[in-house]
Amino acid sequence: MEFRTAKKFYDNLAKGKIYGIRCRKCKKYTFPPLLRCRECSSESVEWVVMKGTGKLHYYSSTMLPAIKFVGEPPSAYGLVEMSEGPVFLTKINNADISSPDSIAKGNKALPLPVKARVRKIAGMDIVTFDIKK
Amino acid sequence: MVQKASIVGVGCTKFGSVLTDPELKGLTFQEMVAEAAFEAMDDAGITPDEIDAFYVGNMLAHTSQVYSHATLLSDWLGLRFKGGFHFDTACSTTNTGIGIASNSIGSGKYKNVLVVGGEILSSVPENYNQLTRKGIDAQTLWGWTDFGVDHVYAYHHSYDVASAYGAIPTMGYMKKYGLSFEQMDETMYYVNKAVRMHASLNPKAMIRQDLEALARSKGYKDSYEFWKSKHNPFFAWPTRLLSALNTADGASAYVISGEPKKYDKKTPVEVKGFHWTTSNYPWYGTDSTTMPQDVIAFREAYKMAGIQPKDIDYLYVHDCMQIHQLEVSEIAGYFPKGQSWKAFIEGRTTYKGDKPLNTSGGRHGVGHAFEASAGSETYHIVKQMRGEAGKVQFSTKPKIAVQHNHGYGMHTAVTVLERGD
Repeated sequence: MEFRTAKKFYDNLAKGKIYGIRCRKCKKYTFPPLLRCRECSSESVEWVVMKGTGKLHYYSSTMLPAIKFVGEPPSAYGLVEMSEGPVFLTKINNADISSPDSIAKGNKALPLPVKARVRKIAGMDIVTFDIKK
Repeated sequence: MVQKASIVGVGCTKFGSVLTDPELKGLTFQEMVAEAAFEAMDDAGITPDEIDAFYVGNMLAHTSQVYSHATLLSDWLGLRFKGGFHFDTACSTTNTGIGIASNSIGSGKYKNVLVVGGEILSSVPENYNQLTRKGIDAQTLWGWTDFGVDHVYAYHHSYDVASAYGAIPTMGYMKKYGLSFEQMDETMYYVNKAVRMHASLNPKAMIRQDLEALARSKGYKDSYEFWKSKHNPFFAWPTRLLSALNTADGASAYVISGEPKKYDKKTPVEVKGFHWTTSNYPWYGTDSTTMPQDVIAFREAYKMAGIQPKDIDYLYVHDCMQIHQLEVSEIAGYFPKGQSWKAFIEGRTTYKGDKPLNTSGGRHGVGHAFEASAGSETYHIVKQMRGEAGKVQFSTKPKIAVQHNHGYGMHTAVTVLERGD
């Protein structure tokens, strides 16, 4: 068994490929990839390229960012339901966080379709999402 | 369990800051933990030689400068050569300890176990010397605390605790139950009003000013106007700053015994049931009001205790963000789904109400000293059961109480306690 799951995930992100795993037993997807299916614990999983689409359900923004992101501009953080099923929370690039009212208004319009975009944030390639407009 | 286990003694320091609080200033981590432990042993009427083992909770070694805590604490606690270890489920630790100690007693290995938790979040030793400490800023503190969250994927993906644990669960509640922002904001005002009222009546709490006094100190006669003012900004919309925890220093302890009749100085409190669950991030799906692990933990703890939600006289839930007072109390079955918000507005959750909840002040009011806090909540539950809860004592002493805690990352501990008289 190849245990270097995180390295494979991030190495592929650098090439613009977003990988998840799909369980051969329960057919469910796990994202980001783990060693076993998150739903049924089966070891029988295959690596699959995720569609990179989904729905944004909620987002907000904090006044106290985690220390890693102190040097970054203020960021929206949102809950995305990916088309394959898994829920993933990450940076939402174009969500309006300019004021509390704009966050309120932005959330009223949800859920909205989103498209994944790999971006280098605070020194690492990560999966972010853009709201499709 | 083979042998029933009961809490026979409890102890708790004042919660506050080792830099400024007269009760805590100048204490080393070891001494602060000992203060809580000695109170618990005195409360039980038990001597160190009767304690078979002791389990120690502490999260941030950055501030305590302790590893293998039981080893380093053994002689400070008068427990040299006794069995012991450090254990850690983050902010639920001293709730989890009730079950661990009960298992040790249930197996027949030990008769009496001491559980202690201590945490210092205000400061770090300078030059590795605990006697000279310097304050730390919130971002540094949370940098260490966030090791409690998945650092392979989640943290690097712009992780934001205020949104994940506060804002998104709050929006989920609004959406699921059709509350406008104004209704939600007003509800959270009433929640905090109760939190701070209870803390103001609790001599061990860090916050001693109720919401009205805080509002007056900022020039507001009306505390709701103050709530909505610039003094209470959005931590992460729709969650305001006052709906969040306040970090604190402190320690708590309890003695669990298989021989409650021998240590009957105070009314013993029997451990009826407990359950623990774990989940890495994310903690919920598209329904952000409910962590599935909470549902399982309550169900299994109730099953072990042989109780139903209607049997619960008193509930204490983890309120690191106060939205969880609403959501977890509903998962616990203490309120019907979607109904708890009204109970807060109607004042039913205060020590005078018919559905008392978190009446010592919670993680905002007592203050949040990570691995000591659950023990301070157990301390308060035991005091309520004995009729020793001072100004917040209920008119009728609770018979069945349930304590729920989250430990960062996420761990859930649910414990069912029953007054033993």
